[in-house]
Amino acid sequence: MSYDKPLPPDDAANRPFRDGAKRGALMLQRCLDCGRHRFPAGRYCAACRGERSEWVASSGAGVIESFCTFHKAYWPGFEREIPYDVVQVRLDEGVRLFSNLVGVPRERIRSGMRVRARFEPVTPEVTLVKFEEAK
Amino acid sequence: MPNKALSGRVAVAGVGTSRYGKLPEYDAYDLGVWALKEALTDCGLGFEAIDGLIVNRIPDYQRFGEITGLNPRYTTITPGQGRFSGICIQTAVAVIAAGMAETVALVYGNNGRSAGDHYGGASDAYGSGGAGLWFPYGMTSPGAFHALMMRRHMEQYGTKPEQLGAVAMAFRRHASLNPDAVMRTPFTIEEYLAARFICEPLRLLDYCLINDGGVAMILTTAERARNLRKPPVYIRGFAQAAEFAGSTFPPEDFWRVPLKRVADEVYAMADTRPADMDALMIYDNFTPTVLFSLEGFGFCPVGESGPWVADGKLQLGGAFPTNTSGGHLSESYMQGWALNVEAVRQLRGECGARQVVGAELIQYMTAAPVITSMIYGKDPG
Repeated sequence: MSYDKPLPPDDAANRPFRDGAKRGALMLQRCLDCGRHRFPAGRYCAACRGERSEWVASSGAGVIESFCTFHKAYWPGFEREIPYDVVQVRLDEGVRLFSNLVGVPRERIRSGMRVRARFEPVTPEVTLVKFEEAK
Repeated sequence: MPNKALSGRVAVAGVGTSRYGKLPEYDAYDLGVWALKEALTDCGLGFEAIDGLIVNRIPDYQRFGEITGLNPRYTTITPGQGRFSGICIQTAVAVIAAGMAETVALVYGNNGRSAGDHYGGASDAYGSGGAGLWFPYGMTSPGAFHALMMRRHMEQYGTKPEQLGAVAMAFRRHASLNPDAVMRTPFTIEEYLAARFICEPLRLLDYCLINDGGVAMILTTAERARNLRKPPVYIRGFAQAAEFAGSTFPPEDFWRVPLKRVADEVYAMADTRPADMDALMIYDNFTPTVLFSLEGFGFCPVGESGPWVADGKLQLGGAFPTNTSGGHLSESYMQGWALNVEAVRQLRGECGARQVVGAELIQYMTAAPVITSMIYGKDPG
């Protein structure tokens, strides 16, 4: 069966994130003026409004800030998944992501749990950045 | 700094509402016109008296003026997000105080039910527009955003589902006394807990309705309002604060910092305290927002909103009757507008079985990336 869940928008600004995930790296934009990391990509840094930036690899390490469980499917591709969990992760670099936690039963998910990125290819072009419990 | 000189200078002279529910024969313009005609009748003015026009959620201001034959001195239009009802009302006060218009019509029309609006999935436009990045993980909808906030509140403070249930039950009980409300059948805590989860920890009964309807308000100077059909309801205080930085994600502090800023300003402007309020109108897109608002405005200590609401304080007859119309959860999803109208009707004593006896001061509040609050008074202060 072909992949039937939504795919991330393929915008040029976020291409380094997309390409990084395919090779197993969580790439973030970093401000060359103040050093803060950011994602999604933007021309200007929201903290210092600097325009100079680079893409760097994140450690992929972070912490769960919160989580919720979807009992309603907003896309047909998620109907067979419900109930499924979405986690709100804060990377150690300070950037936040929404994602899914793999391999942890729902009753064990807690805010404060340390996690690390894992990479899940879903189509030949797209690899999603998910998380697993850090050992 | 609050502008105390503006306290009580502008008044609500007229309010109008359409029927609520499923009204497929009316588009958003029609619903707005319906409500505006009601509001003008309410205050005894004609269309020719309107020299300021603020439209919200109605798609186009020019078309709205064309179909109503309006040629105002001042016009603006705002996005169809609930936080804009408070923003619009505050803008109207400023416009009137600045002399840019004397009598401003604020008009809202929402045909979301009949148009099949969804608040999640491919059309999700909540927040700052970056939602598509998270769809691959199944993350979508304002409900999920609030579920994530509520989970943290539960983990940090021990807030319980039954306490959210107390909010939903109180508002439904109020709606049962409101002939205009869409959902009027009271439910028990067992029925609340048995309702299906939409995005856990939130259940169906934690979510607002989606329905059609229109609301209009006529604001003018206090002097002019005193010569119109209904007793004026004075805008005694208003304040606003935004928190946009990082706002794709839930705020770590449940918006506590900007809520406090708005609280300090609005109470100072109106020269009141939370304890002075005879009723509250709290933007209830989801039940957790009510808790965050009560904590942020200082009605209860941080983290204690759960037990605080559980003993009936929000019910008619309680310490702070809240959303006496039924609110967005049970009356009608009019994105803040109908709550402001309810404040006016309560202060005029027009609310029948759900009347708060002797109401003199009522506060409206929205907790969102733009926080607004208004304090309405029966007297100019």
